[in-house]
Amino acid sequence: MAADPRTHEAHTGSKFPDPLPRIPLVWGPADYDSVSAQISEITEKPQPYWWWPALLITSSLLCGGVLAATYLISTGVGVWGSNVPVAWAFDITNFVFWIGIGHAGTLISAILFLFRQKWRTSINRFSEAMTLFAVICAFIYPGIHVGRFWYVWFSIPLPNANHIWQNFRSPLLWDFFAISTYFTISLIFWYIGLLPDLGTLRDRAKSRTRQMIFGFLSLGWRGSTRHWRHYEVAYLMLAGLSTPLVLSVHSVVSFDFATSLIPGWHTTIFPPYFVAGAIFGGFAMVLQCMIPARAAYKLENVVTIKHIDVMCKFILATGTLVGYAYCMELFIAWFSGNPYEWQTFKNRAFDGDYTWAYWVMMTCNLFIPQVFWIRWCRQTPWFVLIIVTFVNVGMWYERFVIIVQSLHHDFLPGSWGQFHPTWVDWLQMIGDFGLFFTFTLLFIRLLPMVAIAEVKGVLPMANPPYSHLDEEAAGHPIPPSEFHPDESYLKGEDGEYPTPDHALAASYGLPSRPATEVKPSPEPVPAFIPNPGGTGKPWGVVAEFANGSDLLEAAKRALAAGYKHLDAWTPFYIHGMKEAIGRTRSRLPLFTLAGALTGLATAASLQFYLMAYYYPTIVGGKEYRSWEAFVPVLFEMTVLFAGFFTLFALIGLCGLPKFFHPLDSHPTFGRATQGGFFLTIEAADAKFNPDETRAFLESLGGKHVAVVEA
Amino acid sequence: MPAIFSRSLEGHARQAGVGLAVAVALVVTGWYYYAMPSYTRVGYTPEQPVPFSHELHAGNLGMDCAYCHQSVFESPHASVPSSQTCMNCHNPKKANVKGNSPLLAPVRTSFDTGRPVEWKKVHKLPEYSYFNHAVHVNKGVSCVSCHGQVNEMVVVRHDKPLTMGWCLQCHADPHTHLRDVKDVTNLKWKPESGKTVSEVGAAIQKDLKVAPPMNCQGCHR
Repeated sequence: MAADPRTHEAHTGSKFPDPLPRIPLVWGPADYDSVSAQISEITEKPQPYWWWPALLITSSLLCGGVLAATYLISTGVGVWGSNVPVAWAFDITNFVFWIGIGHAGTLISAILFLFRQKWRTSINRFSEAMTLFAVICAFIYPGIHVGRFWYVWFSIPLPNANHIWQNFRSPLLWDFFAISTYFTISLIFWYIGLLPDLGTLRDRAKSRTRQMIFGFLSLGWRGSTRHWRHYEVAYLMLAGLSTPLVLSVHSVVSFDFATSLIPGWHTTIFPPYFVAGAIFGGFAMVLQCMIPARAAYKLENVVTIKHIDVMCKFILATGTLVGYAYCMELFIAWFSGNPYEWQTFKNRAFDGDYTWAYWVMMTCNLFIPQVFWIRWCRQTPWFVLIIVTFVNVGMWYERFVIIVQSLHHDFLPGSWGQFHPTWVDWLQMIGDFGLFFTFTLLFIRLLPMVAIAEVKGVLPMANPPYSHLDEEAAGHPIPPSEFHPDESYLKGEDGEYPTPDHALAASYGLPSRPATEVKPSPEPVPAFIPNPGGTGKPWGVVAEFANGSDLLEAAKRALAAGYKHLDAWTPFYIHGMKEAIGRTRSRLPLFTLAGALTGLATAASLQFYLMAYYYPTIVGGKEYRSWEAFVPVLFEMTVLFAGFFTLFALIGLCGLPKFFHPLDSHPTFGRATQGGFFLTIEAADAKFNPDETRAFLESLGGKHVAVVEA
Repeated sequence: MPAIFSRSLEGHARQAGVGLAVAVALVVTGWYYYAMPSYTRVGYTPEQPVPFSHELHAGNLGMDCAYCHQSVFESPHASVPSSQTCMNCHNPKKANVKGNSPLLAPVRTSFDTGRPVEWKKVHKLPEYSYFNHAVHVNKGVSCVSCHGQVNEMVVVRHDKPLTMGWCLQCHADPHTHLRDVKDVTNLKWKPESGKTVSEVGAAIQKDLKVAPPMNCQGCHR
């Protein structure tokens, strides 16, 4: 075989093509409609036989938690085993555990988005939901562990009759800001991501109730490109805001410990170590829930073995980071020569009452995940499930060891003590798991658990190589490619699969090619579609196209023909479409910037005014105006305000909510959120003429062309 | 596919949104006005077992506050007078000022039996706040600053909110409420002509070295 400059062989003698054929993110012959159906049907069809029993179990556990919390609130925190010296025990252990779990979601949705890791699309919705549920579980503890929980509002800076304000130099307050900001931004991010899919569910809905619910929740999202262009930028802005947020939340949580003087807590390694641990535990919990859900709902073609494989690699990497931190803590405790520090760590690792817990943690977090160096271990779902269970147990023990073991031996042997959990401690912890899994079950049942619109955007048929199809038709073969939907699919030039992954992906079948024909309408499309309560005048003309490339081409030609009031309606954002309808980049980032500056100014004036002038307080012997301790709240409020401004700017710039639209009466227009592609020219256009414009759209290849009454 | 919602819904949704925003604003404003001690506590005027008029005694007759509330300069508590004090004037066997008035029957009964008159407490601080009357009056804080113009009250009413925020205003800026110690119980006191309350207060603050605590354990011990 002649040396092809495109292959490794030319340089190394390897037979593999270079680059290797890229394995698609969704396997098998999925198209836009089948993806919509596959995900939506989980919420539409009757629930599987196991769903009600599972919900019964989890909600019973949840009731146990409610019972424990009620008993605690009505009796007092003394019903827990926490006491001097171990004043923080199961409560804060569980709090940090759940906050950690809550890290994978936003990491996947934000950081992987910025890094263009498109495999995130299959799992981001699910893990974002888990983030929210985990943060809710975590938030219970700061609420109830204070004892008089009806005074929890004291942690919010509200004007009050006592003129008492928070101490903005306290890590516990930073923690409050960090977690509430994280929850809010994650919720906004999640909801914005849901908008197009709620539209999909609305347009698929058969019952009036579902139509109303999803119609309301989707705010009238119809896939307009004028909306997509803001949407994409809003999503990018939120990803940019969330990225530092993910890294900051667990750093701030670690400050609760690291800024104290307790041996075992007072270390600078805590922030990165906590963040790595959070991502580690978060990914483990995502897999813990995702693997059974994927099997139960037959999502293997969307959440593929490769997704599990990549997540296992994350677990391996972060687990090793965490293991490094464990070893480094131990080493520094000895190397520093600080007798208290070394006493704590010697006790922790070798000869103390909690040494068993330390070695459970080491085994589960450092040693066991090392099996993920082996491909089989990463790609066998039942085996991964076992390993991630160990990881979850290990991460719980990590927090237990850090909190309980450090507290039980402090500086004075006279104040040493032990911790014994009571039944209320256990019940509360079990109740948390009940809450988490109840939320998860309801979420799976009620909302699309995979981001439908985003998955459509990464389907093989949506991808650029298909722009080569015309060349192929013209007799120029497409270069050997991952998207070549024939017998050479995913194979090297020698006709062999380069890796077992390629063979596995190919075994799901060839990917679909984009549709070349518009799906027939279930009912005839009249030339003029009246609307209830209409004005009698036309709103505009609508035409359906077979696929995104056709629509893009048609839009460009309509623009070239002099039409200005164009809009394209697509199930997912198609790059270049906003330019094709004559629009530019969204100005939404200006609103985000305004929000960020507002938040920053608010936080700065609030903190300086309260801490330096209104009620000057000396903390840690620092000057009243020392600003360093204000940084966490400055950051959190900047992000919080920027997130809110982004959300409201998106809704405002898109003109949402838009519950009624003249186009709704078109018989096939509901497919704009499924697999249909529509172009509209509005009557507001100077060049608009009902007959001429309709003829023009038909000449572009549009089908189901109709004039719609305003 | 027919439209799900009628075209009028959007207008209604916007109206509902505006309505909701207005409702939230009203609730918050209302809360901050009606649920604060400045509303709930100020104006509390319980009916007492004896219709004792401070206006008559402290105002018209010019009796000194400390004649009845006698421990106010020495003790944390201002002390409510025993019926013995009332009987200095109202004893039918001695001075006999209105000695047989039926309105004074509870006082006479108390004097005879030794059981105190059950006065209703008007100004009540929470138990976790430590307040010392003696310290305040001896540093020149007048009764009027916390209790209002008692010399004009026929029935004593709760005149100031007595919230922590209200206390702190004076603790942060005491000179607005200071006067010469001899004028503390003079509820009609006005600064000499040509001087403001603040100027007098500032001088007193300097003289008496008034430095009210701003830390938590000043009041919460």
